[in-house]
Amino acid sequence: MENREVLVDVKNLRTFFYTEDGVVPAVDGIDLTIHRGEVVGLVGESGCGKSVASLSIMRLIANPPGKILSGEIFFHGEDLLKKSDEEMRLIRGDKISMIFQEPMTSLNPVFTIGDQISEAITLHQKIDAAEAKKRTIEMLRLVGIPEPERRFSQYPHEMSGGMRQRVMIAMALSSNPELLISDEATTALDVTIQAQILDLMRGLQKKLGMAILIITHNLAVVAEMAEFIAIAYSGKIVENASAREIFKTPRHPYTHGLLQSIPRFTERKTTEPLPAIEGMVPSPYHMPKGCSFNPRCPFATERCREEAPELEELSPGHLVRCYHPIEY
Amino acid sequence: MRDYIIRRILGMIPLILIVMIVSFGIFSLVPNPFAALTENPRIKRADVERLKHAWGFDLPWHLRFFRWFGGVVRGDWGPSLLFPGSTAREVIGRALPITMRVMGLEFLLALIIALPIGILSAVKQYSITDYIVTVISFFGMSMPTFWFGLLMMMFFSVLLKRPSGMPLLPAGGLMTPGLEDAPFFVKFGDRLQYLVMPVAVLAFNSIGGWTRYMRTSMLEVIRQDYIRTARAKGVPERFVINRHALRNALIPIVTLVALSAPIVVGGAAITETIFTIPGMGSLIIQAQIKADYPTAMIALMLSSILVIVFNLVADIVYAWIDPRIKYS
Amino acid sequence: MAENAIDAGKKKNQKTAEDFTYIGMVLHRLTRHKLAMAGAFMLIAIFLFVFVGPLIWRIDPNLQIESLEGLLNPASAAHPLGTDDYGRDVLARMFFGGRISLFIGFVSAITAALVGTLVGLVAGYYGGWADNILMRFTDAMLSIPTFPLLIALASILGKGIWQLIMVIVVFGWMVDARLVRGMVLSLKEQEYVEAARAIGASANRIMWKHLFPNTLAVLIVSTTIGIGGSIIYEASISFLGFGVQAPFASWGNMLQNAQQYIWTAPSLIIYPGLAIFMTVLGFNFFGDGLRDAIDPKLKL
Repeated sequence: MENREVLVDVKNLRTFFYTEDGVVPAVDGIDLTIHRGEVVGLVGESGCGKSVASLSIMRLIANPPGKILSGEIFFHGEDLLKKSDEEMRLIRGDKISMIFQEPMTSLNPVFTIGDQISEAITLHQKIDAAEAKKRTIEMLRLVGIPEPERRFSQYPHEMSGGMRQRVMIAMALSSNPELLISDEATTALDVTIQAQILDLMRGLQKKLGMAILIITHNLAVVAEMAEFIAIAYSGKIVENASAREIFKTPRHPYTHGLLQSIPRFTERKTTEPLPAIEGMVPSPYHMPKGCSFNPRCPFATERCREEAPELEELSPGHLVRCYHPIEY
Repeated sequence: MRDYIIRRILGMIPLILIVMIVSFGIFSLVPNPFAALTENPRIKRADVERLKHAWGFDLPWHLRFFRWFGGVVRGDWGPSLLFPGSTAREVIGRALPITMRVMGLEFLLALIIALPIGILSAVKQYSITDYIVTVISFFGMSMPTFWFGLLMMMFFSVLLKRPSGMPLLPAGGLMTPGLEDAPFFVKFGDRLQYLVMPVAVLAFNSIGGWTRYMRTSMLEVIRQDYIRTARAKGVPERFVINRHALRNALIPIVTLVALSAPIVVGGAAITETIFTIPGMGSLIIQAQIKADYPTAMIALMLSSILVIVFNLVADIVYAWIDPRIKYS
Repeated sequence: MAENAIDAGKKKNQKTAEDFTYIGMVLHRLTRHKLAMAGAFMLIAIFLFVFVGPLIWRIDPNLQIESLEGLLNPASAAHPLGTDDYGRDVLARMFFGGRISLFIGFVSAITAALVGTLVGLVAGYYGGWADNILMRFTDAMLSIPTFPLLIALASILGKGIWQLIMVIVVFGWMVDARLVRGMVLSLKEQEYVEAARAIGASANRIMWKHLFPNTLAVLIVSTTIGIGGSIIYEASISFLGFGVQAPFASWGNMLQNAQQYIWTAPSLIIYPGLAIFMTVLGFNFFGDGLRDAIDPKLKL
């Protein structure tokens, strides 16, 4: 595992939004490494900056109001933040692609899905229209859409949410990307459809071998897929380790809290409610002093309220941002 | 699609009927439409009586309506009182093409200017360009067309003169007398001069509203998810705007442009009067001043039908742009 | 998503906004809207001009100077804006003409909004054939070129201020009717209306007590913009001689004869037209700001 080639290396990424009501430090120190062909989960509650981080990797942050203040995003050793707009555009949809949360609104309503997938293909591959259509139908079949020839000329409104998300996946994978970013791609779907889409992504990952960054608020989604998991809180990574370690020995109190709030069907003896993390995510305008988790943390001390901890490697490959990591 | 168009055409019938009833009703309310004629010492009493009979004013109103209705449908529109010796049909036949020419040019010019400027204003929201465009659009919407017409006339026909001492642009009319047999290009150029001011005056008003609406519509569209999808697959920014965003943004514009048709036809009436253009608008007004109600009635009805037909065209364009329109 | 962060930020803002009343919040947003404030200043200036002006400049607007030298005078100390073709003082006529133009604008726009509201409420609330007939009629009215018909009506009803107001109302209610109907259609599905119906509230009560107040904010915006439109209609009709009649002045009828003097006394065209333009611009700016303050997504 160690000798796998590093694909993406995000170092101390900071993306802020400058709104009328003040500055929002949406991403304030995110570090993330993704190796070639690896599945990584980035997990956190809404507002923790995980989506902004993924849009920053794609350089899709609207400026204004957003701005990537500092940090580096190495892709194959080259800093994406130093690329020109045109260079970056050629990477998007080709080497790195992305699927989004809302399949109902993520496809353009006035073009056929065939048009929209073919467009992605002809943008990045030097092939003619007939060839692109063939490839599009092939992709539709690959993502499990029945009757792809007929579906080719249908409009998004003629399809269900699950089907549309399959179309989005087909579009994202049409140029054989090295990295697929899935931003809450299953959140808006029904539970059964959710499982189907996750299965599909897992199968395609095995088949095509691309790396996947799964952004989600739901640890259960990444439990079965991700090899590594990064936990984000208030724009920072608070814990980063292999999936196994995150689930077995979570060291950060926040990760621990998140795991406690997952329903477990095996030990269901009592009717007591699921433990939830006390308190609220802090307002981005009023970040607490010190560790941003301190107001909700059962172990917080004077030090946590004064200074912010750094991300430290507690054991090989297990990084935690906490002064009082849980010991096992 | 064909069924849709047929259904739309059938849907026009009740509208046209209502418009006919209103046109008829309004002029039937005139206490004595022949009062002006009766007072005119040069018109013989017998002639007035003959006219009254010809128009069915010796009948109860409902019978008169059916008689008028039948006449209209058969194309027998009666004599013109405004231009003795001509039939109403001939008079209107002369005026209608003139109005359609002015309006056609006006719509074309306004669309060519308003749409790109509205898009520019939206893409560069809050820039200086945007502010200037916004303020000028409001000027266009707030300027009474007739006053703007008078200002233009003051400037281009009174203040600015050619070396020959002639006004830079003619203050009114359709063409320079004596040029009837001139070569095509001379005639064309000559007529164009006469159209510059009326068309510009009318267009400025439409441009104001349409620019504003295009901007709003575009702003609404560019923050949609599918625009982000287009960017994420590497579509160049100008195609994101011109292909993905524009077609969606145009959908509400079609409705707006169709809705503004009666205002433009109405505006044409006053502009035609100022610039002494013998079109439908000035015909309706002249006919009313001279108590030629039969002509006014038909001219008003035809102008309304023009608007209804325009709306039909808009409906078809609408269905063509937006695949979500249900044909059934 | 990026919106999450911004939403989170807005929540904080809303907390402080909750301390305000709804009106307070709208006012707060309005004062931050540059165009709205520009519009407000323009309107205040015009109101002061029209209503305070005559208290300072006490000249009879209908006083005619009975000598040829008194006609079409350029600006002078005795007549700061000159005299018109009857030798009347243009400044004094501007004051009184403005009063009439504004009066017609206000009364007709508000009445049109009321008529439109009534039609929209009935069509939206009852639905079915009532809706069908009313909306077909509204559509037909919307396809008749307004202006020629305004003149037709003006010539039937006779010429005068009240007739003119009626004419503008007859052709000014349709947009509000559609607007209100659209809102009522979505409002009547909401629980509290269902509840009111369930406890047996009368249709009248539901319409005026539950539905109408919810359309009010939007109606205020549309009426503000409508006043500007009505003033233009007044001016256009009076300009053609079908509207406000002598001896009354209105900004529109001051322009009526002015076209003849475009070569000799162009100022006769400039002043009343500029006053109309500034007033309408003021209402449009202010209305735009009001819409943004009430609901930026509103389509008007």
